Amino acid sequence: MRVVTRYLVLLFLFASIAGTVYWFVTYEAIGTILLLGFACTPAIIVVYAIRHGSMSERRPDDDAEADPATEAGEVLGPFPAETVWPIFLVLGTIVTGASLIYGLILAPVGAALLIWAVLGFTRESRG
Amino acid sequence: MTTILDRRRQAPSPRRGPGVVHRLVSTDHKNIGILYCVSAFAFFLVGGSLAEVMRLELMEPSRQIVSNEAYNTLFTIHGTVMIFLFVAPFATGLANYLIPLQVGAPDMAFPRLNLSSFYFYIGGGILVLLAGVAAAGQAAAMGWTAYPPLSEMRLSPGVGPDLWILGLVLVVISNVLNGVNILTTVFLMRAPGMTMWRLPVFTWNMVVVAILGLVAFPPAAAGLTLLLIGRRLGGLVYDAAAGGDPTIYQHLFWFLGHPEVYILILPFFGVITEIIPVFSRKPLFGYTGFLLATLTIGMLSTGVWAHHMFTTGVIVNPFFAAMTLLIAVPTGVKFFNWIGSMWGGKIWFAVPMLFSIGFMLNFLIGGVTGVMLASPALDYQAHDTYFVVAHFHYTMLGGSVFGIFAAIYFWFPKMTGVMLSEKLGRVVFAMLFVGFNLTFWPQFVLGQRGMPRRYVDYASGLGYDTPNLVSSVGAYLLGVAVMVFLVDVWRSLRRRTPAGDDPWGGYSLEWATSSPPPEHNFDELPKIRSLRPAFDRQHPELTP
Amino acid sequence: MRRGRPVLTISACVTAVLFVGACSGSFGMPRGASEQAQETFQNWQIFFITAIPVAGIVYVLIAWSIVRYRRRRSDPPDALGSQRTENLPAEVVYTAVPVMIVVALFVLAIRTDDRVTAISPDPDLVVHVEAFAWGWRFTYPDGETVVSPPSGEDAEWPVMVLPHGETTRISLTSNDTIHAFWVPEFLYKHDAIPGRTFEFDVTPTEMGTFQGHCAEFCGLNHAYMNFEVQVVSRQDFDSWLGQQDQVPA
Repeated sequence: MRVVTRYLVLLFLFASIAGTVYWFVTYEAIGTILLLGFACTPAIIVVYAIRHGSMSERRPDDDAEADPATEAGEVLGPFPAETVWPIFLVLGTIVTGASLIYGLILAPVGAALLIWAVLGFTRESRG
Repeated sequence: MTTILDRRRQAPSPRRGPGVVHRLVSTDHKNIGILYCVSAFAFFLVGGSLAEVMRLELMEPSRQIVSNEAYNTLFTIHGTVMIFLFVAPFATGLANYLIPLQVGAPDMAFPRLNLSSFYFYIGGGILVLLAGVAAAGQAAAMGWTAYPPLSEMRLSPGVGPDLWILGLVLVVISNVLNGVNILTTVFLMRAPGMTMWRLPVFTWNMVVVAILGLVAFPPAAAGLTLLLIGRRLGGLVYDAAAGGDPTIYQHLFWFLGHPEVYILILPFFGVITEIIPVFSRKPLFGYTGFLLATLTIGMLSTGVWAHHMFTTGVIVNPFFAAMTLLIAVPTGVKFFNWIGSMWGGKIWFAVPMLFSIGFMLNFLIGGVTGVMLASPALDYQAHDTYFVVAHFHYTMLGGSVFGIFAAIYFWFPKMTGVMLSEKLGRVVFAMLFVGFNLTFWPQFVLGQRGMPRRYVDYASGLGYDTPNLVSSVGAYLLGVAVMVFLVDVWRSLRRRTPAGDDPWGGYSLEWATSSPPPEHNFDELPKIRSLRPAFDRQHPELTP
Repeated sequence: MRRGRPVLTISACVTAVLFVGACSGSFGMPRGASEQAQETFQNWQIFFITAIPVAGIVYVLIAWSIVRYRRRRSDPPDALGSQRTENLPAEVVYTAVPVMIVVALFVLAIRTDDRVTAISPDPDLVVHVEAFAWGWRFTYPDGETVVSPPSGEDAEWPVMVLPHGETTRISLTSNDTIHAFWVPEFLYKHDAIPGRTFEFDVTPTEMGTFQGHCAEFCGLNHAYMNFEVQVVSRQDFDSWLGQQDQVPA
């Protein structure tokens, strides 16, 4: 995690510097907002990572001498093997979006599908 | 529910064989990866057919196969399909299939989210196709870039463009969810000993692609949503008469648009960087330099977007010229990594290697012409002409699509347990290489002679006739090549020549398990001490 | 194995094509019929000439690797190549040299851009160009205009007449959607954006008739929105202007 956090810090610095330079070279608002906004994404992840101690933790995957044998046999719960909820999630999104095109009458239908799909998803994850 | 807190999971094995329904609802990353790849290839056939019709129309001057309106729809849907529904999802499919295997994990971090990403992609794809076939006068025909004012309601009435926008918004959602999945998997689910500096290059490239996607897609979604609001709800952001500005859209669109093309090429840089060392029987040359180059490209690609706007007069050209020229450097460095990986090797020209070499030969032209376009003065001549069309086909077809074929010939044995035909593969490669260059090299000439792009027709006697004819012939050769490839796949699946775990002597972890892998991927993970854990296991005499 | 040969042949062909393009004298681009275009053409020549050795070196290295380091029949099937993964001097060189090339190209590009887009404080003529779907309106001083007839496949192309050797200021805008004014022989185009007016100078150095195209997709008849630029001597220009009808703008 440390390596990635460092790259994200680099991205944040790059975007901040590029955005600032861009503003003073061009005085063009949209590009400046886009670049400075771009700086926010890695910043969010980095702040979270640092506050949750991922810069200091030693995980077996970052340990160059670790051995898979030491991790074998740990059972951590079932895979979700099959699920139909994604299909309804997408259908709900489509119908909701289509209400803008074909008439707002579709909006409640789409919303209902979406809510049903989200509920189904959540209930499924509770096993 | 499995979350990032769980590190190892045992999957319940299915009691029955995979039927069609199971394949559509399974959250196994391998299944989803194959679904993506097959769907993407189907979209390739659709987009390719549209291109063949366009080339038929352009074969001779004044030929009228399709109406003007239909032609405009053809290139709109062709561009959208090829970029958003073929190349990018194919890379996503490869990533979904390979990343857990390459990092030594049993699945992606969020399996159900993974399946959701796939269905968002399919849903978006269907909407885009529907946008193309909407009733006359309503089909999406504003170009895949959809600039306002042309894409606004007054000049593009009807439901086609709206369906197109909605479809793309779904595709954006798919990509963002997928990016989150990829990053979480790679950051937190690697096997013990698989440090970030031992990650296979393909996985690293997908990490950068995922970050780029997270950064770049939202502004485009914003721009598209503003367009939809303008079309359906009376929004005026792009309306000059009301005090708005159509170039705002161009900024928002290209802030995605340029990283998008790196999203399209970086996975295939990764693919051929996996392939070339294996078939040269050498380790990758300059892994660290290659990674630094990849990270730099990811970073810089967000700062070049307005080189698509050099002729608008609303941006400061030198800033973008500088950034665009700069990004040529890490891209060039990679060429030397590939050459260095072949240098001193024992190269054998299996089909994946042929495609990788073809990739290098083609992409170099794409890259060099990109450097030319980085100069604003040269762009003033070449922008919106066939020169640009040729440039981006050299990078996306000559580059990414050759990378796709390389990936297919390399990993098909792993995914299916069955080998493709070497002989037919060579035929496919030769026809694709010749057909591709015949199609697009003349288009550089066309552009410089003065033929703009998105023209349904051209006058004869301007010097456009012969290049267009040659280009169309090449396009038909490309079509035949793809047919031969499909024949190869069909026959190979029927013939079922067993591939074994590791037909090529591969380096990364996917070659250390069966073909196809079991549902939980690995019965036993080898020790990971280098970039090449599968190779090390086969060659203990070489590992220190 | 003979398989290296096709690739060698292909790379040789490609390099040859590049050379032929260069040797044809114009490098594939029109020579340029205006002063501004001379700058652009020179820029193109330099970029093209730089591209040849860069591409050539890479192609030669690829071809050499394929031929020299291919697995031979005499090698055992599991023969391995050299296991070397680094060469710091080479890596430094092949990173630093491209940076230097790119910096030089940048300086050249910006110099050219400045010269091509420079506008003179006192042009000899100002022509207002309005793009609309799907035609052009050229408005000369004193209100004379030339307009495209109703467009379509067989429409006659409107002609913009310009005086040879003098600087014409083009003032460009659009009535509806984004178009682009492009004269390939002038090696220059600019977008015509509604709500904005752009100005650029053209100083024709050759007399003759040059094609013009719309170069920003603008809908149904985008391909038929063509025009002509006719460059004539100052006297011919004056007499042409005198013959034009006054049309209210």
